[in-house]
Amino acid sequence: MSLETRNPVGSAKRVGAVAAPASAPGWYQRRRTREAMLIACFLLPSLAIFLLYRILPLAWNAVLSFEFWSPLKAARFAGLDNYAEMFFEDDVFWQALTNTLIFIMASPVAILLALAVALAVNSDLKGAAIYRTIIFLSYPLMSVAVGIVWRWLYDERGGFINFVLRGTGLITDPIPFLQSFGWALPSVILADIWQVIGFYMIILLTGLQSIPQHLYEAARIDGAPASARFLRITLPMLRPSLFLCAVIGILNSFTAFDLVYVMTGGGPAHATELLVTHIYNMGFGETRFDYAAALTVVQFALLVILTFLANRAVGGNAGSVESA
Amino acid sequence: MARLTLSALRKSYGAHAVVHGVDLDVADREFIVLVGPSGCGKSTILRMIAGLEEITSGTIAIDGRVVNEVDPKDRDIAMVFQDYALYPHMTVEQNMAFSLRYRGFAKAEIKRRVGEAARMLDIEALIERMPRQLSGGQRQRVAMGRAIVRDPKVFLFDEPLSNLDAKLRVAMRTEIKALRQRVPVTTVYVTHDQVEAMTLADRIVVLDKGSVQQIGTPEEVYETPASTFVAAFMGAPPMNLVAASLVGERELELPGGARLPLPARLWARLDGARASDIWFGVRPEHLVPARDAGKAEIMAKAGVVEPLGSDTMVQFDLGGATLIARMPPKSVRAPGDPLALTIDAHDVHLFDRASGKRI
Repeated sequence: MSLETRNPVGSAKRVGAVAAPASAPGWYQRRRTREAMLIACFLLPSLAIFLLYRILPLAWNAVLSFEFWSPLKAARFAGLDNYAEMFFEDDVFWQALTNTLIFIMASPVAILLALAVALAVNSDLKGAAIYRTIIFLSYPLMSVAVGIVWRWLYDERGGFINFVLRGTGLITDPIPFLQSFGWALPSVILADIWQVIGFYMIILLTGLQSIPQHLYEAARIDGAPASARFLRITLPMLRPSLFLCAVIGILNSFTAFDLVYVMTGGGPAHATELLVTHIYNMGFGETRFDYAAALTVVQFALLVILTFLANRAVGGNAGSVESA
Repeated sequence: MARLTLSALRKSYGAHAVVHGVDLDVADREFIVLVGPSGCGKSTILRMIAGLEEITSGTIAIDGRVVNEVDPKDRDIAMVFQDYALYPHMTVEQNMAFSLRYRGFAKAEIKRRVGEAARMLDIEALIERMPRQLSGGQRQRVAMGRAIVRDPKVFLFDEPLSNLDAKLRVAMRTEIKALRQRVPVTTVYVTHDQVEAMTLADRIVVLDKGSVQQIGTPEEVYETPASTFVAAFMGAPPMNLVAASLVGERELELPGGARLPLPARLWARLDGARASDIWFGVRPEHLVPARDAGKAEIMAKAGVVEPLGSDTMVQFDLGGATLIARMPPKSVRAPGDPLALTIDAHDVHLFDRASGKRI
């Protein structure tokens, strides 16, 4: 709805904002000041926590990335040395970056699968509520537990997947899912998709159920076939939900530390190394907090850029929900 | 040319029947209004005509062709929904062109039709806007435009004005009436508003609990209601209905002892067995001030007085029953004012107490 209204003589005025009188009297100014202070009082606790636990660490991290710093020595200005090392000397960084991007690129696959499941459980399928609950159950599980379960499933000797594949005669030798350089990353990604798909499904299902049924009815009368109804109504109306899933997918790819740590520890030979595990190894393994800080800055920048691109990809106002 | 025929149309959800055998023949270019209270089955009937609801039994035919199993898109109908059903992510133009795109129209023809409908509905300036940028009335016009561009055999309107405020509803009602004169297409219009029904319809179908109560022109339905339900539903304020009994020579005794002579045409239809089983009905505007108070049939004191400017609505008590009279302005000023009212015997309606049917 437009904020502009017109009075009978045609002059526009803005509603929702109280315009100050031309010569605002003192009481009016005092009232405005009091209101502003009251608003600040309500906001301050949240802002203080946000500043203390988000902004300050981020700023401190940024400063640290331009220093040589260790717990035992005084900090020295390092300029871009940490970044130069990262980009020109650290092969593991490039491997971790590539793996992180592959992890991110797996998100659309997970979202598409979740969309298919959401469409299925949103239909007249018998027992849809039960399937919905079962599929969602994977999400609240702790990543560590998921990692342990999948490590067992993938196990080369006693793992369930190898057992089934060999039992059905599809393979003769067991597949070293988590020990082979080629298999490790896809195997970890599959476990991650399994865990997150239930959450995506719930988001998309909520989006699907908020699409007014009469739009589909109007489209049926208009002659749009089922494929057109999906492409021209369902998908555009799901845009905010899809964006939310995409952002969660990006965040999840950057923070899938526990799953990787439990399943492979980043190995074999950094095959499943992500930026976040590399940061951990540099910071807490080699106590190089300055270098880990530089890696964190790059990860943060990447996160901001990707979120921005995701927002642009869905039309620039992804948070908004269309309504007629 | 399109004639719509409903024959013994029924709809049940499990054991719960919501439409009980509706028969209706809508002539070509006729404007039919289905009216009734919430839950009477009017929208269900409309949705069955559209093909959005399955039919339990009976047939729907358009131009003689039974369309029970025909897909909605192939019925050649267009529907205007209660909440507009505009595609929120498309512009007005895209909304209006949507159906034409899937019916194989050339781009130039789509543009021409959309332009023509937009001109007709005075929404040319809004063509590039998104639905969220439109007011309720503008959205309703776009919804109608979307139906018009199709040039369908039958228009279906599902309570199209119920989301608008009272003033806009009156304006849009007039526009629909004007539009109907310009685009005379067979139309079925659903509403719970009896004023909309009276003003728009060629014929009105009054429904209650899934059954047709009466089919007739607005005048017929208003002037000769087939049952107490129709009498009470059509008209604002509704018809006064009070229990009455026959006494003496062709006289009707009302609550409080007031007596009213009956005309021969009514008397002829009555028999002794039903003499004390009668609902007496009279429209509020037919309770008129008597010129000579001595000849008034009803003497009472005014209760609630509601001046409307053009009329004054006066409630009064008659032997325990509350009646409403539509009086000339300023004829009654305050509660307690004496009322001397007379009724023309030709304006009297009698209904059977047991069945509620008109006598």
